[in-house]
Amino acid sequence: MKEQYRETDVVRNITNIQFGVLSAQDMQQLSHAHVVSSELYTVPALTHKPAPHGVLDLRMGTSQKDMACETCSKNLTDCTGHYGFLDLARPVFHVGYFKNTVHILQNICKTCSHVLLKPKDKPGMCEQAKRITSYLQKKALYKRVNELCKKVSLCPNCGATNGVVKRLPPLKIVHERFRNVKKGDPVLTEYFAQFDTALEYNKELESHLSSNVVEFLNPSQVLDLFEKIPYSDLPLLCMNQQFSHPKDLILTRLLVPPNCIRPSVISELKAGTNEDDITVMLTEIIFLNNLINKRSAGKVQSIQDSWEHLQLHVAFIINSEISVPLDLSMARKSTRGFVQRLKGKQGRFRGNLSGKRVDFSSRTVISPDPNLRINEVGVPIEVAKQLTYPEKITTHNMSLMRQLVKNGPDTHPGAMFIEPRSSPGLKKSLRYVNRERTAMELRQGDVVERHLMDGDIVLYNRQPSLHKMSIMSHRVRVLPWRTFRFNECVCAPYNADFDGDEMNLHVPQTEEARAEALTLMGVTSNLITPRHGALIVGATQDFLTGSYLLTQKDVFFDREHACHLISSILAGKETSYKIELPPPAILKPQQLWTGKQVFSAIIRPSKFFPVEVNLTARRKDYTRGEELCSNEAWVVMRNSQLLAGALDKSLLGSGSKKNLFYVILKDYGKEHAADAMWRVARVSTLFLMNHGFSIGIGDVMPGAGLLARKRELLQDGYGKCDEFISQLKEGTLHCQPGCSAEETLEQLILKELSTIRDKAGKACVMELHKTNAALIMAISGSKGSFINISQMIACVGQQAIGGKRVPNGFEDRALPHYERHSKIPAAKGFVSNSFFSGMTPTEFIFHTMAGREGLVDTAVKTSETGYMQRRLVKSLEDLYVAYDMTVRNSTQDIIQFKYGGDGLDPSEMEGTAGPIDLERVLDHIRAKSPFPEEDPLTGAEILQLATKYLSEDAFKELSTEFKGELKSFMEKFSKRVDKIRSRLTHTTATTTTTTSTSKPSAQAPVEKHVERLTFTQLIDFLNSCLDRYQAAVVEPGTAVGALCAQSIGEPGTQMTLKTFHFAGVAAMNITLGVPRILEIINASHSISTPIITAKLKEDSDPEKARQVKGRIEKTLLGEVCEYVEEVFLPDDCFLLLKLAVDRVRLLKLEVDAYSIKYAICTSKLKVKDGDVRVESDTIITVRPSRTKSSAMYYQLQHLRQHITRVIIKGLPSVSRAVINQSDAGPGGKQKYELLVEGDNLREVMATYGVDGTRCTSNNTYEVFTCLGIEAARATIIHEITVTMETHGLSVDKRHVMLLADLMTCRGQVLGITRHGLSKMKESVLMLASFEKTADHLFDAAYHGQSNPIKGVSDCIIMGKPMNIGTGVFKLVHHHRREARPPPRKLIFDHPEMHVPLSLSLS
Amino acid sequence: MADEEFDGDDVGDDFEEVEEDENLDDLQEGEDDENQVELLTAGEGQAVPTQKRITTPYMTKYERARVLGTRALQIAMCAPVMVEIDAESDPLQIAAKELRERKIPIIIRRYLPDGSFEDWGIDELIISDF
Repeated sequence: MKEQYRETDVVRNITNIQFGVLSAQDMQQLSHAHVVSSELYTVPALTHKPAPHGVLDLRMGTSQKDMACETCSKNLTDCTGHYGFLDLARPVFHVGYFKNTVHILQNICKTCSHVLLKPKDKPGMCEQAKRITSYLQKKALYKRVNELCKKVSLCPNCGATNGVVKRLPPLKIVHERFRNVKKGDPVLTEYFAQFDTALEYNKELESHLSSNVVEFLNPSQVLDLFEKIPYSDLPLLCMNQQFSHPKDLILTRLLVPPNCIRPSVISELKAGTNEDDITVMLTEIIFLNNLINKRSAGKVQSIQDSWEHLQLHVAFIINSEISVPLDLSMARKSTRGFVQRLKGKQGRFRGNLSGKRVDFSSRTVISPDPNLRINEVGVPIEVAKQLTYPEKITTHNMSLMRQLVKNGPDTHPGAMFIEPRSSPGLKKSLRYVNRERTAMELRQGDVVERHLMDGDIVLYNRQPSLHKMSIMSHRVRVLPWRTFRFNECVCAPYNADFDGDEMNLHVPQTEEARAEALTLMGVTSNLITPRHGALIVGATQDFLTGSYLLTQKDVFFDREHACHLISSILAGKETSYKIELPPPAILKPQQLWTGKQVFSAIIRPSKFFPVEVNLTARRKDYTRGEELCSNEAWVVMRNSQLLAGALDKSLLGSGSKKNLFYVILKDYGKEHAADAMWRVARVSTLFLMNHGFSIGIGDVMPGAGLLARKRELLQDGYGKCDEFISQLKEGTLHCQPGCSAEETLEQLILKELSTIRDKAGKACVMELHKTNAALIMAISGSKGSFINISQMIACVGQQAIGGKRVPNGFEDRALPHYERHSKIPAAKGFVSNSFFSGMTPTEFIFHTMAGREGLVDTAVKTSETGYMQRRLVKSLEDLYVAYDMTVRNSTQDIIQFKYGGDGLDPSEMEGTAGPIDLERVLDHIRAKSPFPEEDPLTGAEILQLATKYLSEDAFKELSTEFKGELKSFMEKFSKRVDKIRSRLTHTTATTTTTTSTSKPSAQAPVEKHVERLTFTQLIDFLNSCLDRYQAAVVEPGTAVGALCAQSIGEPGTQMTLKTFHFAGVAAMNITLGVPRILEIINASHSISTPIITAKLKEDSDPEKARQVKGRIEKTLLGEVCEYVEEVFLPDDCFLLLKLAVDRVRLLKLEVDAYSIKYAICTSKLKVKDGDVRVESDTIITVRPSRTKSSAMYYQLQHLRQHITRVIIKGLPSVSRAVINQSDAGPGGKQKYELLVEGDNLREVMATYGVDGTRCTSNNTYEVFTCLGIEAARATIIHEITVTMETHGLSVDKRHVMLLADLMTCRGQVLGITRHGLSKMKESVLMLASFEKTADHLFDAAYHGQSNPIKGVSDCIIMGKPMNIGTGVFKLVHHHRREARPPPRKLIFDHPEMHVPLSLSLS
Repeated sequence: MADEEFDGDDVGDDFEEVEEDENLDDLQEGEDDENQVELLTAGEGQAVPTQKRITTPYMTKYERARVLGTRALQIAMCAPVMVEIDAESDPLQIAAKELRERKIPIIIRRYLPDGSFEDWGIDELIISDF
């Protein structure tokens, strides 16, 4: 059984992990064996007895069943293993610290080992280094010291020359001592003088003495240098003296890991054993060691070689993936070093520490069952018999447990094991005991591992788990057969269908886990997605079709059928419900009930049932006339009576806020909402089963009228396309702004063709009978769309690849069936047939091309979004709302002062932005409790009362924004009341005067009751607003970071196409979809489509706009020249430029011949001022330089080639600027703005005519450098929101704000990448479990970092409960002490017992 | 999966160095500021007096979940039940009933970010929904 977590039981608590570098002495102290022998086993190898002092020495633990450890005498299962050590013959570099070794060498003098800092910097830096506690600052200081030291070449301490230290792959260090020394410097000559004697005797040496003196620093030398580093300089290396010293970075001794982590496997097939990679490498090292030791008197060269080999082998054992030159790689097969064991998805960190395999889980295929409740899961009886829950016996459950024990392991409600209280940890299987007797012997406190039973709480999950609703707790219903079953309403959160999907089920094993699962993860607690606060659990598919058909106008039932339908809800806990059959809608000739009545009876079975829904909504296909809408699209529900409208997806399904279940949830709680959902599911399926619903070929057969219409449409469309094509050929096509003629044509044709399909679709829908199955499904929203219908019946339409028409796969054409360069619709992928009529072969291939693109896109997208989600979660996982309502991370840094600016929970947002849909709540309160005895208030009274009541103390809790919203709503309402009433009194004044005088004045005239609102209702409404607001405040402890990550990551998977057209301007494509989100999140410096939106100072004049455009857009000389001619005269030659003045005037360019001359002179062409001559307003001549060496002819050719590329106006980085007509302002005037492609916000802002304060770019980095961090934050928020919106995905602004705040909270824009993350997070374990595992661990060890176990990842790795959600607080036992009895007064406490002193004195 | 390609060490140290070198000065400034900032004493381990409590009077769902769980565990381990129960045998249901009647003998200790804490008894908190 899984041990329960109990805080009080823990004697030791891990609060910190200290990283450090082991010194040679440390290694020896840790070890139990000195390893020297390269032998693995003693000589008769078959016994498999490990050789003493070998790498498998039994003192390091055992890996064989029949041998005990020689250190602790425990066997294989109990011995935890012990370290050994081996001494290296020569010191070698540690591959993990190699980078740090090089850095230290760069920092210190290679002669005296002092840190190469200038004396004036040194003490300050030293002081700073000692003070720093934060890991991030320490890393930064390390970088800075290194930067400074690299610049110093003369040691301030000893005056020795220091050069550049570089690493030479794979593991060598080079010191170019005299890199910065000039030739002939005395230092250099002195150095060369050393060799004078040698040179005398050996002339050959001379060629080796180059001026570029290179020293190899071998590990021994480096070790010597490191040992000499003065103690006072150590802090400057950012090492923690307590846990690491530079000299420990060089290995002189190797720690041999215990045998149990590198077990040998005795092969059964052949003699001998299979040894672990580590063991093999260790033996090789020992072999080399011995070789060097033996040869120590031998040749220098051979020792040098062996040393290098030793170095490599030691490196491989740590990290076997280092790149090695071919000749040294020794044809190794790939091995697994320590680093390889840790890193990667299957490595220790991600595979074993952050995620673990579990018991008490099950997985099987899923299938639907509308008869199960929303929060239930059907579990096969076989599964229920395998999964157990350890239930403790108390007085309350004794008899039940006895019965279960009697039933034993094979009868369903039975038990598998018992664990008597007297012998904890000892489980008895009930298979092998006398169950009758055991049952009688059960005592309180015994634990019975019983089968899963009805009502148990289990966690149910489907991968990919993209959001928190992917794992929810359900209650068990044990059922026959072999699949997991659940209500289809819950498909949406799991994103499950039943085409063979499998799901997992986990059984929580403790009471605490059950309680948390039930209250926090229950399906009923997760009906709403925190992404945008809409329902995610809701009716789907058949439920929608059924409800839609049931609530049609023409559905009537006789008593028998009506009762049959309504009584289908009598099951489970509803069995005892009393149902009131409403009076029939039609009495004669037969009593008939409408479908709407039946539906109303299901929502509210009797008048004693509390749920009274008030809802007014319009469906998408609403026409006009409110209730009289011909599509029944105006839905009115008043006090749970469905008065008008047929219900469809927007009212019953998921993803909407004007939703029946949503209203129930908000007004009556989650239980009622879940129950109502279940009742609707049951009734709609029952109705649909009796009604019958099917689709056949007849449903997709077009009528004659439709065919004719289609033919007409096609003819029209094709005709127009042909016209465009011929226009293009003639060159009369009017180009769209910023587009070439070809592009314009494409756009026009694309637009034309899509209208064909739209019109065909509309014609199709118009013609179909309302009983058409496909149409019913599309309208009710259960399956398919109007486009799908029109594709089936009328026309499949244009096939797009990459947002364009089918590209040319053959020479100048898409398919060889068409002529080259053909642009007609059919040649570029327009499918005019329908799926019913069948496609031609060419159409079919176009269709498959588009289909394939979709498949590829999904395949690519899943991995991209998966990685994005992982990064988002890793960076946001530890953000939570603290009890002071700030958003903090695990190190208590503040990310937001108030969550989302207002401290409200996104999942409680009822309106689009605000917490309450005021209109609806007011309607609800007025309808629910009419207070007939009260008089309605007038508009002025309402306003006065509301303002008075709102100023009371209780309403101080409301935020000012919400209060303002409430006030303006009340104002609007009171105005409306006054307006309507005054209008009514005017019209009825003449007619009512007579009646009103005749009747007593107490009877209010009827017009007063229009928009009736009484005093109590108003107060109720305001109180209700207050309550709802307070319920919408985010709860402290909420893991808002994780919610944000999921809310942004999950919709990423739903984004389909990659690019979209810019709204308004067809010419500008901007990246959207997943690539755009990635750009923003990665904080890329250069994005693929940077666009600056520049508002103009005078934005209503298109002429002015064109002028500004001319100032910004890059204009080349070639673009304004009519011609460029070389002119050769007998005595002169020059280039003649003729300016196209008309064009310049047309483009509103502010250039003339003189400014062009200036541009030419300042360009890169290096033309002198005198060589450029302005001959006239339109003619400029350029002469080649006479002084230059090259021939004038070539100069002229060069000029001719390049002069057209001279930029005469605009910003060089801006290739294109487009004038955009934005929406007409209030005065109906067109407004113009500039959209600039390019990355130069600063220059654009400074351009004359541009309103600099209203400019922005979509490049966050550009905005950051130009406008600062707050502007960057706003840009991130805006860009993410826009991207999501274009895909029709809504994400609450709070999530986006949190992400932007996290990215910008360190004062610079940090991406959600491994670079950004390592600048945001302090926790080594968290970083190591993300990416670059080994690098982070080695860095931490170098710095001697201590890692407090506080973050989410840290806690998971250490197996501790985390400090988020249920972990932010602690529970203390509440001693209800009796009040102490009042102490009896002692005799001396009575004043009368005292004789006053003063008296006695006198 | 796309993340694997980033996990390789060969992505290049050069690239990383370039990326990281930019912001040395920014962090430097942050340190100097430290001298001018007055540090407030942390309220580590200190209780906030009852009148000065600032946290929400509502019981959060996390508190409810944990209180219920802890209490259910106590009941499962044969702790005396503080309410009348009929046929209930599920400790969780009993705990829920006890919570409804505010009979659970547990105090919630809410920690504020500075380390100080507020103690709230179950009977002091407003429990909004069940």
